[in-house]
Amino acid sequence: MGFAFTEENLEELEALAKRYPSKEALMLPALWKVMEQDGYVSMDAIDVVADYLGVPPMKVYGVVTFYTMFHLEPVGTYHIQLCRTLSCSLCGKGEILQYLRNKLGIDVGETTPDGKFTLSQVECLGSCGTAPVMQINDTLYENLTPEKVDEILEGLK
Amino acid sequence: MREVKIVSRRFDIPGSHTLDIAREHGAYEAVERAFDMGPEAVLNAVCESGLRGKGGGGAPACGKWRLAKEHSDPTKFLAVNCDESEPGTFKDRQIITKDPHLLIEGIILTCYAIGAHDAYVYIRGEYYGFQKILQGAIDEAYAAGILGEKTLGREYRVDVTIHRGAGAYICGEKSALLESMEGKRGHPRLKPHRKEPEWYFGRPTLVNNVETIATIPFIVKEGPEAYRNYGTEKSPGTMLFALSGHVKRPGIYEAEFGTPMMAYIEHYGGGIRDGMALKAVIPGGASTPVLTADEARSANLDYESMRSLGSSLGTGGMIVMDESVDMVEALKNLLAFYHHESCGQCTPCREGTGWVDAIVASVLKREADVADLDKLLDISWIMNGKTICVFAPAVSGVIDAFVKKFRAEFEACLRSHV
Amino acid sequence: MSETLGRKVKISVDGRIIEAEEGAILLQVLLKNGFEIPYYCYHEALGPDGNCRMCMVEIEGKKRPQISCDTFVEEGLVIHTNTENIRKVRREILELQLINHPVDCPICDQAGECSLQDYYMEYGLYHGSVEKGKKLHFNKHLDLGRNVMLDQERCVLCQRCTRFTTNITQTNELGIVWRADHSCVSTLPGRKLENGYAMNLVDLCPVGALTSKDFRFQQRVWFLTPTPSVCHGCAKGCNIFVDHARLKYHDDTIYRFRPRKNPDINGYFICDDGRLSYKALQTGRLEKALFEGREIGFDEAVRELKKSVECTTGRIVILADANLYTEELEMIQIFANRIGAWLYAPLESYIDEKFADEWLRNAMRAANAKGVEKLGIATTMPEIKRDTLLINFNHPVADSLDVRRRIDFLTHAEGPETGSRADLTLPIAVWSEASGTLINIDGLEQRCEQVIYPSDPVPTVIRWLEAYELGERCIV
Repeated sequence: MGFAFTEENLEELEALAKRYPSKEALMLPALWKVMEQDGYVSMDAIDVVADYLGVPPMKVYGVVTFYTMFHLEPVGTYHIQLCRTLSCSLCGKGEILQYLRNKLGIDVGETTPDGKFTLSQVECLGSCGTAPVMQINDTLYENLTPEKVDEILEGLK
Repeated sequence: MREVKIVSRRFDIPGSHTLDIAREHGAYEAVERAFDMGPEAVLNAVCESGLRGKGGGGAPACGKWRLAKEHSDPTKFLAVNCDESEPGTFKDRQIITKDPHLLIEGIILTCYAIGAHDAYVYIRGEYYGFQKILQGAIDEAYAAGILGEKTLGREYRVDVTIHRGAGAYICGEKSALLESMEGKRGHPRLKPHRKEPEWYFGRPTLVNNVETIATIPFIVKEGPEAYRNYGTEKSPGTMLFALSGHVKRPGIYEAEFGTPMMAYIEHYGGGIRDGMALKAVIPGGASTPVLTADEARSANLDYESMRSLGSSLGTGGMIVMDESVDMVEALKNLLAFYHHESCGQCTPCREGTGWVDAIVASVLKREADVADLDKLLDISWIMNGKTICVFAPAVSGVIDAFVKKFRAEFEACLRSHV
Repeated sequence: MSETLGRKVKISVDGRIIEAEEGAILLQVLLKNGFEIPYYCYHEALGPDGNCRMCMVEIEGKKRPQISCDTFVEEGLVIHTNTENIRKVRREILELQLINHPVDCPICDQAGECSLQDYYMEYGLYHGSVEKGKKLHFNKHLDLGRNVMLDQERCVLCQRCTRFTTNITQTNELGIVWRADHSCVSTLPGRKLENGYAMNLVDLCPVGALTSKDFRFQQRVWFLTPTPSVCHGCAKGCNIFVDHARLKYHDDTIYRFRPRKNPDINGYFICDDGRLSYKALQTGRLEKALFEGREIGFDEAVRELKKSVECTTGRIVILADANLYTEELEMIQIFANRIGAWLYAPLESYIDEKFADEWLRNAMRAANAKGVEKLGIATTMPEIKRDTLLINFNHPVADSLDVRRRIDFLTHAEGPETGSRADLTLPIAVWSEASGTLINIDGLEQRCEQVIYPSDPVPTVIRWLEAYELGERCIV
């Protein structure tokens, strides 16, 4: 399947280009547009981004694989990213992880059969004061308890 | 204990992230003043204030500013580091969500002082929700004629653009941040051989942490002496220290440098959670060497005190651990983080972070012996001072402190003790 | 730095005073002066990168060891390259390079010319402390195309290969993907190397990660003798090493060509076509003289040659290959004078625009075209009539000529595709079995010594023509 930026996204990128000394600076912004459109970065999209920025596709591929928030494969509709780093671990991350595993019936790195949830552990989300925390897609959920997790997941259905 | 709010003074005002309310409470007043002072005077004020970078290194802001300002290239940039990813650190997000106009004001002042017109705020990808709040404030500032071709009616253009990261701790390292902003993998650059500014697409560039920039309005408006009223001689002013882990009230609380660590933890954090004794404190984000409870009791929250204890103030993000914590587990947790986040460019870090992680994992599984602990310290030695950036040396400091200060706990986990 | 480059300053290295250019890369200076400094990522052609951290030295006044590839010479530097501390640094960095390395030297083609092995012998000599089962695993057999195979497990991530495709060929097929200890060299999924210089990657790789599909599993490098020579693939005259060996039960055999540094011609590299042109030197060769389809010996062949020439009353045209050495061409010139023949070496037939690029590949695909011109040999096509006697010294155009009477001196056995077949066909040695001088397209004269000494050598042009002088007279 081919990839093309939407008209709207192209316009936004063009406007953004004026802010930078070089078009190559639009690498991450353009890849974010791809993520926004498709939810992952396909090889076709890599070619399109490379062409748009005037850089080799291999450079785009190197960048996509460097940053953990870009995916080369689709993930679930809701990507649950539970923080695993120290403050969250000290404050009950383990319990939340176990709860999520049981509730969703999947392990870390897996997606539910209906394609709805993907469970990941991620590094520090910068919310150590409200640990434990998780992010679902772009939304942060803090001070997690099993009850709160129930509520959050309920709200997504 | 003297309470002080310089950067956080509008944090508790409802709606402080909006332009109207921020202006009601003094936002952008320093801009008028700066234009009356002239750029050189703004820079001098920053130098006289003794302001030190609040992103972790603690280097005087003055030096970096001069390097950027005095470079002959008329095109200069400002990059504001909001890649806040250091475990235990969550202060910059308070600024961009609770008082984004303070940051924008600081950006205008900094640009004006060094002669830059384009500023970029590099925000870690995970902060998208917070990024939107800052973007809202930027949009408001453009609409109000604060940003753009003219700044509050004065002939000085400042454009502020948010650059969203995508999940890479190392991009908080200033040269990796610029590489990332140039559309590359976030590999730190080789350090220069002489004093020079940073470079963005070959142009002189200043990189400062969000909190550093957010401190500028106070210094410009109230004067450097007002800032020096707080803190110590060598660590003047205040910082948004953070508390997380086993305290009753985790959070961000501004305090002056030199505040005794335990007094801070008691006063703002409400002390250690009920019925438990303090075991250790990581003083300034995960990358600073851990302090034992005794060390924490003698520590003050300033650069010199921390250095004398063999640690560093870092980002001021304290992770407090009570007696329930298994220090081997805690180190394993951190090493997994570094293993995941190494950029992979140079050998000691790329291979070392994985190996130390594996060794501590084997300690936890009771599969290691004393020789493995020695190996761990050996690898730590080769990771220290032999890499391109300070990532691996930081990991080295973390390992050394955990293993040397809590050696008995590590030894209790060895195979021979099963 | 550049403004001061050139000024000679003195530095002290391990107690020795050395003169060097101010601003020069310290590592390069140390290597040039015979100090043994280990390194992976630095390469003269690619410059420093600073990622491997092997080339550390101690510099007085600096708290920590410094990488010498990112240290620039200045007056009065005092350097120590071999202290206990430095040896420990090298040893431990090497150990880190090896923790995820498969240590499959017995089946690795790089064995014998591998930096990992060499440095291990110098600095390592410890027992491996990571169990084999715990090492990280990557792809071991990635066919990158263009005869290049990648074994990601053997890679030390020095980025020489990625810098070659990014900065030198600018074809950008390779890059580093993922990060931390999962970083690896890769092409885009499903894509391959697409440049005609790709096999240089094999030489650049300091370890066994990139190997040549052509050379792998063919020969152990310690059996090979590298003899300097010049590539005959085109008129560029790229300098090469011919790696060959005479092993038990085998004749002297070429296993590979490798580039030989020459800043005036090819720098550090050669093209893949040139590199693989060794194969033609030992396949399809004409080994015996043929007269009317029957094999004959050398003496008989000389007699037949003489007879044919001396019995000719009509016009004789000689065609000479512009790949022959100047000395051979001179001999042919003398021969032509002696027998009253017209000598030509048409150059037009060597021109191959499709082969050419703006770097090392020249459209003139004759190694000694300039030598031909210098000797004043006619480079146009001769007029050839049906009754002309054509004596062809391996010129490619001869294949297409239809003449009644011809004598062919050929390196290879394949017959003419369109033209007539000769009555007398004489084998001549290929360039690796002869010696002589070439003049490249830029006018540089280069001497080539004989590389290969076969057990049963095919005569060179010179030997044939010397024998001719000594032969009998023809009685009409």
